[in-house]
Amino acid sequence: MPETVMDSLTLSHFLMTGAVLFCLGLIGFITRRNLIIMFLCTEMMFQGVAVSLVAFSRFHLNDTGQTFVIFVLTIAAAEAALALGLVVLLFRRKRTLDALVWSQLSG
Amino acid sequence: MEQYLEYALYIASVLGALSLALMLPKEKRGLRFVGPLIGAASVGGLWLFLSSDSFWDGRGTGMASWTFLYYYIFSGIAVASAVRVITHTRPVYAALWFVMVVLASAGLFLILSAQFMAFAVVIIYGGAILVTYMFVIMLASQSDPSEQNNQAYERVAKEPVMASAAGFLLLAVLLSVSFDYDALEAARAPVDPASTDAALIESTLQDRPLKIETLYVTNEAGEPVPAESVAPPANLDPTRLANAERIGLDLFQSHPLGLELAGVILLVSLVGAVVIAKTKVPDEQHAVSG
Repeated sequence: MPETVMDSLTLSHFLMTGAVLFCLGLIGFITRRNLIIMFLCTEMMFQGVAVSLVAFSRFHLNDTGQTFVIFVLTIAAAEAALALGLVVLLFRRKRTLDALVWSQLSG
Repeated sequence: MEQYLEYALYIASVLGALSLALMLPKEKRGLRFVGPLIGAASVGGLWLFLSSDSFWDGRGTGMASWTFLYYYIFSGIAVASAVRVITHTRPVYAALWFVMVVLASAGLFLILSAQFMAFAVVIIYGGAILVTYMFVIMLASQSDPSEQNNQAYERVAKEPVMASAAGFLLLAVLLSVSFDYDALEAARAPVDPASTDAALIESTLQDRPLKIETLYVTNEAGEPVPAESVAPPANLDPTRLANAERIGLDLFQSHPLGLELAGVILLVSLVGAVVIAKTKVPDEQHAVSG
């Protein structure tokens, strides 16, 4: 590859990867019917946000971006504990992980 | 060139939506093999277009030349694994593909010289959180041999076309915002020596000196003494700190309240998880099946 291509890795490239991960997680959250996979897709959205934050941190030379990723990890861990507890609770109630079984909640 | 960039982003978004709608699980599997081809073609075409040297020259950060190659490798692995996460019909395999997403983003973090975050993400996500997910998947899956391997709700996605359209509309909006061609054009000046990484880090960190005189440290006898009575180590230069040290400095110096709140959130979720797990629920299985 020519020299100009090598030197041209920009913030936009990493933002693109982060946006793709976020949107794929969003699509997965909408389309999948398994409750566990739905929460796995929210973790994937977190991952896209983390990639964007670390890229901002690198290209603006500010460590706060990486510090925020630590907070994102904290929230993801707390969310995983609570969400999986709720999923187990819902599974014990209906013996299925199908999200559409709970569609009466949407009114 | 600006409108070509916009067109390329929109075409790639439309093709990506089409391929993902074809790849999502559904009853008729006839066209599923076309989806990966269209998706790979659109992503590869967009990346080839973006890496053509009519864009972004002189806009780099002085990264080494191999980073460009590794960026494409890790991004490709991350995006392909993410697609597999949302298209795989078996939850355990979806969780394992998510581990690949985590590992690939850890590789991206290494390119971005965020070593601490790379390892933290692998340990916390790939280790702790994913193991919890695997536990719950195995706890909550029915092992009825008379059933098929996976349930109907795994094999049929709900609203694949509309969801793909909505998701990739959002993606097109995000991309057209983040690829601000005018801003990039204005920033395409030749690299100024004063704006290099080392000079910028030095000027940034000089604004935030180490407040070591407010700390208490222990002396040789183990008694707490004000740190100002102890001479700081001679090699404590903020510009020479490693990645993890700079993150720790930023975390404890600039975000102490956030740190406390994170601890409170973890405590609340711990108590909440215990309360949820101890809740007694009636079994409605017969009501559902009957």
